[in-house]
Amino acid sequence: MRKALFLLFAALLPGQALAANHVALANDVFVERVTTDAQGKQRILLEEPKVVVPGDRLVFVLNYRNAGAQPADKFVITNPLPAAVSFADAGDTRPLVSIDGGRGWGQLDQLTVALPDGTRRAAQPADVTHIRWAFSKPIPAGGSGKLMFRGVVK
Amino acid sequence: MMKAPVGGAKHQLLPSCSFLALLAALALPMQAQAAGTRAGSTISNTASASFDTGGGSTTINSNQVDLLVDELLDVTVDSSNSADVPTTPGATGQVLSFSVTNTGNGVENFVLSTIANGGGDNYDPVVTQIYLDNGDGVFDAGTDTPYTPGANDPELDPDESVTVFVVATTPGGVVDGNRGIVSLVAAAATGTGAPGDSFAGQGEGGGDAVVGATGADGSDAGAFIVSAATVTLVKSAVVNNSLGTADPIPGATITYTIVATVAGSGSVSGLAITDNIPADTSYTAGSITLGGVAQSDAIDADAGDYNGTRINVALGTVAGGQTRTVTFRTTIN
Repeated sequence: MRKALFLLFAALLPGQALAANHVALANDVFVERVTTDAQGKQRILLEEPKVVVPGDRLVFVLNYRNAGAQPADKFVITNPLPAAVSFADAGDTRPLVSIDGGRGWGQLDQLTVALPDGTRRAAQPADVTHIRWAFSKPIPAGGSGKLMFRGVVK
Repeated sequence: MMKAPVGGAKHQLLPSCSFLALLAALALPMQAQAAGTRAGSTISNTASASFDTGGGSTTINSNQVDLLVDELLDVTVDSSNSADVPTTPGATGQVLSFSVTNTGNGVENFVLSTIANGGGDNYDPVVTQIYLDNGDGVFDAGTDTPYTPGANDPELDPDESVTVFVVATTPGGVVDGNRGIVSLVAAAATGTGAPGDSFAGQGEGGGDAVVGATGADGSDAGAFIVSAATVTLVKSAVVNNSLGTADPIPGATITYTIVATVAGSGSVSGLAITDNIPADTSYTAGSITLGGVAQSDAIDADAGDYNGTRINVALGTVAGGQTRTVTFRTTIN
């Protein structure tokens, strides 16, 4: 009976619900608070914020997990940057980025921005609108991992 | 809840969707604020994953994380006078200009005050009134609004500025070259404190109000410089008689010389030298000179005149550091 219901559900949402049960993507956002202790040492604390102010440094963490029995091929994670967040860096995860709303993609250091006078300048982190990680190998059944990037509240 | 913008494999299939998303992002006013994302707005983040487990490409969305943007309280004050403003001893209605800018991210009222006794100068200007500019940037007591703390604290949007005029009186006892400093202080009406201090629930949009890097208050100093001039008159007389001696005998001629010296960084205007002809002497007609140049006795285009009892030489405006020399002659009766 459960299976029948499940199939019915799957039929209502063709192709999506089945897979959704197998791969999970969790999104957490932390704020980096730098504190200086009595010895003058800086400590970086990650807090889960409810509220932020302009200038706060945010750490976006994406946890993915393939809970299904089949490997997940052509695995691509895309995070459109919130409009009020300026991209800072993505650690050593080397993502593809888009600086034009998701039309074109590339490594940040390969992208350029057209200037009004017709010349082009190198793209800056602040130009980034989307971040994407495209996996060259399938995520095996039971496989999981974590991605991160940093941004600053505009 | 808004569905997350398209991601993953959909990008390749429907590029026009992301184009629409870009247009929408450009239209959001929150991006244009140099002071930062407007207080009370929500930052939402959603990621998506696309993959193929054998049944074709599938896209799933992550959970959505919403962050409320709090109000940051920040303000800067800048003196708008490029140099010290000249004043004179006892002068009233002396004006210093400042601009107050809300560098926070929410609408905020600012309480204004002045400090005239902060030291580092020669005298304390007496502040009589603060005015809020009507928008033309020029002080006019008739059209600008007198400021009363707590009653009309200027309300500024993020990045908005207001020009503030501080009107002061210069004390009578100051001398040339004295400097008097007035600082204008602007403080967020919600509160001030150390960066990071917060006022729960008092931010725009229902969040907290958080003191920003400026401490939620700011000040800048403007200064008056006393530009005064003093006049010194020195009168001397030389007697000549027919005997060739300096004895003041009847018939002898007395040549009077009056030297006016103006000192200081300012100037004097309307300066005139008047001298009565002494009793028992007679004025020698046409004998007035100014700087060695003969002056007529009539009231006319030149500076000198004689009216029967006194000579008068109008010097007009004379700047500090200059001298004027006037001579005239009389004979002893």
